[in-house]
Amino acid sequence: MWVLLLPALVPVLIFSVGPLLYGISLAFTDAESGRNHVTSFAGLDNFAALLGDDDFWQSMQVGMIWAVSVTALQFLASLGLALLLNERLALRGVARVLAMVPWAMPPVVIGLMWRLVYHPDAGIVNSTLGTDINWLADFTWALPAVIVMGVWSGMPQTTVVLLAGLQTVPRELYEAGAMDGAGTWRRFWNITLPQLRPVIVAITSLDFVWNFNQFSLVYVLTQGGPGGRTRLPMLFAYEEAFRYGFFGYAAALGVAIVVVVLALLGVYLWRQLREAS
Amino acid sequence: MRIKSALAAVAVVALAAACGSGGGDTGDSSGGSGEPVKLDFLSLAWQKESVEANKAIVEEWNKANPEIQVTYVQGSWDNVNDQLVTSFEGGDAPDVFHDDSPALAGFASKGYLLDLKDKLPASLQNDIPQAAWDTVTFDDGSGDQGVFGVPFLQESQVIIANKKLLTEAGVRMPTPAEPWTWNEFADASKKLTKGDTYGVAWPMKSPVNKVLNLALNFDGTFFQTAGGKTTVKVGPEEKAVLQRIHDQLYKDKTADPAALGMGTADPLPGFFADKYAMLPVGVYLRQQVAEQAPDGFEWVTLPPLKGTTSNQGAVSQTLSVSADSEHQEQAIQFMSFFLNGKNQARLAKGDWLLPTSQEAASDPSITGQEDGWDVATASAKDLVVAPFLKVNGYDEWKSKVATPVLQEFFANKVTLDEAAKRLVEEGNEVLERYQR
Repeated sequence: MWVLLLPALVPVLIFSVGPLLYGISLAFTDAESGRNHVTSFAGLDNFAALLGDDDFWQSMQVGMIWAVSVTALQFLASLGLALLLNERLALRGVARVLAMVPWAMPPVVIGLMWRLVYHPDAGIVNSTLGTDINWLADFTWALPAVIVMGVWSGMPQTTVVLLAGLQTVPRELYEAGAMDGAGTWRRFWNITLPQLRPVIVAITSLDFVWNFNQFSLVYVLTQGGPGGRTRLPMLFAYEEAFRYGFFGYAAALGVAIVVVVLALLGVYLWRQLREAS
Repeated sequence: MRIKSALAAVAVVALAAACGSGGGDTGDSSGGSGEPVKLDFLSLAWQKESVEANKAIVEEWNKANPEIQVTYVQGSWDNVNDQLVTSFEGGDAPDVFHDDSPALAGFASKGYLLDLKDKLPASLQNDIPQAAWDTVTFDDGSGDQGVFGVPFLQESQVIIANKKLLTEAGVRMPTPAEPWTWNEFADASKKLTKGDTYGVAWPMKSPVNKVLNLALNFDGTFFQTAGGKTTVKVGPEEKAVLQRIHDQLYKDKTADPAALGMGTADPLPGFFADKYAMLPVGVYLRQQVAEQAPDGFEWVTLPPLKGTTSNQGAVSQTLSVSADSEHQEQAIQFMSFFLNGKNQARLAKGDWLLPTSQEAASDPSITGQEDGWDVATASAKDLVVAPFLKVNGYDEWKSKVATPVLQEFFANKVTLDEAAKRLVEEGNEVLERYQR
């Protein structure tokens, strides 16, 4: 009955597996842009070069700081928001819709909007805090500033998923908890969190992958500057391929990113699942 | 139902007939050669007047040449080179495209561009001086030199200043014949700095081209070639401008460090609010100043500074034909029309830049005193080919090494000697990649 699989399989093979294999094979060549260039097999040269490339390590470091802090902060903020939106508040419907707004915006628009927010002269941040900092060009502040934007723009997905999770927690558990004299904090810690656990594991791992592979937001906001302080791995790969034309090297970078993400996710999921069982 | 389908059939027939007769018309006017040739023209014009001028010239061409129809395609400086690399590789590059000479150097060596040597009409060839042609003459990747674009707009670095503050401070007004030296500029900045006003704002978000172009004031070239190998060089000549700007920021305190991270146009609100008295910027910024200045705000364009010379490195905006174009001959014809003296004057006026065409440079529309055109156009004489233009791998050196190092240096995080060392050592590693 394998024929029945074909309609699902063919598009996957053509649009996902094919390009993936092509990308991986490219990583073992010295492919470059240019009509005069003859591509030849290069073995592990690209990977060797990667290991010795300071810019690569710097961008991996930036990528890790970015992905971990955005994911963690996004989770905390979204959990708070989801708990709030789960309560019977006035205008709950309106608030739930408003919380979705960042989701409806294309990343490029978000990037442009935050560029105005951080504008040194006309931006709302400087005028509110009374500071005179050029956030996106400052070596110390650029990455934190970009992280704040990342948290903001990714909150809706996380909030929706957590809110959905919260609504599946049986009411009786809370009633039983209240009967046993558990306060709000106890109920949150001993009922809500354990009940939400599968949802939390799923959304944080997805968020981590999305964030680590983030491109457009940061590209619009800083193009990886100043001095590579916000150059995420994807931006680095993009620059290598389309700015400098080293396709083989960029493909190797892509492979390295996949390996890192898979390894980190593997460890995280394995630990979470082990604790759960 | 039947009526509807009958109507549809009639509509289809009518459409087909219209198309047929349309094709016939153009066929007749081009001497029966059939379909008109279609060219794509990627333009990077972005200032409103410039986009209008570009579109108007294309329209005039299309009207006069029914057998060669040009489609105007809007591009953007932000991502043009990424876009072109992918379209060259994918085989759907525009026939004629607008870019600048630093980008052409790389494209030429990769074989993407048509060599225009001996293919351009003499009128165009002679209207543009050799110094400008030098900015588009590159190695084609096999060791031969070719001409890979037509240079048409150039940018010089001038100083836009607040006239009222300048008069109050009582500094000497420089003229193209007697420009300020860097020392006079430093003194003027000191006189202009008082209260909330800084004498100068250096917008250094993209510091590299600016510094390298100005460095020629003290003969700083930043690159040297010996035995076919190009290396980075940062000696006393190169350090001069770096040190002077740094002094203004941290020794004289006449330049606002907060402006360092700004793009060229970002200090304008501060400039209009008397926060900055002078902006060392490209000539094109005059457009935004003229447009955005509040009523009654008086500003002047001051000529380029003088070190040991007034030389500034120049790159050009260019039009090129892609090597893959199927209609190269027609593309060259269009380009020659687009860049004739009369049209160059319109383009220069629209973009507030300097034309390479001699004929255009004497056009009364861009030599008057209004909006500093006289000073701007006079500064063209100081432009020489920027030395970095011929350096393979310059773009990567610029973004990976020079931009961060210069930003750190201007932010006072590293000393000049440390910066120089990194520019050279890390820079040579990058250049190595392109020379094997």
